[in-house]
Amino acid sequence: METEAAIQLARFIGAGLAAIGVAGAGAGIGTVVGGAVQAMSRNPDFTGTIQTNMILGIAFAESTAIFALAIAFIILFV
Amino acid sequence: MSGHDHAHAPRRVGFWRWIWLAAMIGAAVLAFYARGISVEAVPLGQTIWGVFAPVPPAVILPSEPAWAGLYLIPGLVPFTNTMASATIVLVLIALFIFLVVQPAVRGNDLVPPSGFGGGLYHLFEMGVEWLWNTAEAAAGHKWAPRIFPFTATIFLLVLFINLFGLVPIHETWGYTKRAHGTIPGYQMIAVGPAQFIDGRSASEPDEELHAIEEKYAAAGEEIPSKALYYHEAAPCPHCEVVPTLRRASTDLSFTLALALITVIMVQVFGVWSLGIGYFTKFFNLSTIIDKPFFGVIDFIVSLIELISEFAKILSLTLRLFGNMFAGGLLLTIIGSLTVFFVPGLFVGLEIAIGAIQAYVFSALALTFMSQATVSHHGDGH
Repeated sequence: METEAAIQLARFIGAGLAAIGVAGAGAGIGTVVGGAVQAMSRNPDFTGTIQTNMILGIAFAESTAIFALAIAFIILFV
Repeated sequence: MSGHDHAHAPRRVGFWRWIWLAAMIGAAVLAFYARGISVEAVPLGQTIWGVFAPVPPAVILPSEPAWAGLYLIPGLVPFTNTMASATIVLVLIALFIFLVVQPAVRGNDLVPPSGFGGGLYHLFEMGVEWLWNTAEAAAGHKWAPRIFPFTATIFLLVLFINLFGLVPIHETWGYTKRAHGTIPGYQMIAVGPAQFIDGRSASEPDEELHAIEEKYAAAGEEIPSKALYYHEAAPCPHCEVVPTLRRASTDLSFTLALALITVIMVQVFGVWSLGIGYFTKFFNLSTIIDKPFFGVIDFIVSLIELISEFAKILSLTLRLFGNMFAGGLLLTIIGSLTVFFVPGLFVGLEIAIGAIQAYVFSALALTFMSQATVSHHGDGH
């Protein structure tokens, strides 16, 4: 029973540590959107193209966070 | 109402906006109190307006069999709930194509039919045109017609699957099974012909079942049959609901299959465009004789290309899966905290995320495929 409790404890701690990886995506998405807004304000005619690329960039930056989240899920629920 | 009238009478929105504001604030306040009302004031098994106390989610990562009976057949590869949902989505897409798109295309009129079907067709055409424009911009005239069918299919399939998962009864309707030994289970409460579970009926974890599980775990054996969890009695005393339909993109198998198809098709397009020389991208020994030092560096770089090809599979798989699973988890957790109005806002968020992820997957597939058709030396065939 005690090992079980220890495993459960380690699971929660591990999932919490894995979720730290989400922080990087925040910075990444901030950089992407900041650059996109600057580009759009300089060149409003290309807003559509820039927005499409911005969403792709966000998806790339976000993917690291999603990896961290997926690992946290796998630690918690598998 | 003609345009003439409209020009003279200003639109009367000044009054109604206050009504809307009051309604939204009222709904928000009610959303936080409704749980308290339904939990405390009503005896177990009865409801106000059919609202049960919400149940915290039982989160299960792998998909489960779609019907309880499938538990009982040993050795059968089960038809899972994600497969059931994906099958329904495929039927819906086929119906959409044959009933809405095909007649409008076959009619060969410049103006498609009006009405609901016509409107749907216009929406579809708009989306396809937009996808085609992105494909042509990325892949060029020659390769866009060959790549487009794959990316458009991926977009349509993932979009329909993601949005179908938000249909209300989806993921909350299913069969019961005995809750695992360590989590609380719920009673089934009959209302008419239907059975519901109520968040107030939570019982302590099932010690007896837990003891059996422990015994198998101590012996280091798999639990032989899932029949252990299948409960036959009608008022189930200590159960959780296994959904019959579950959003297919919350299953790693689905996203992995999609990513494998994408990456394999990337190689196919590469070989189609550049011949067998495409594989020098991964084992670049072409310069190792002429320039030994830089040749070795080129070879190592090409090996990194090979590794990144596998990283593509991993990232495509986990991106879609992680987004959709986290979205579903968010919805169930919000739904277990508040009863109504607030989950609606998050469903709106999930609609946007589902559409964006469908676009991202197809856009990445498009980028990878169109990159593969271009020689990496930049001489561009």
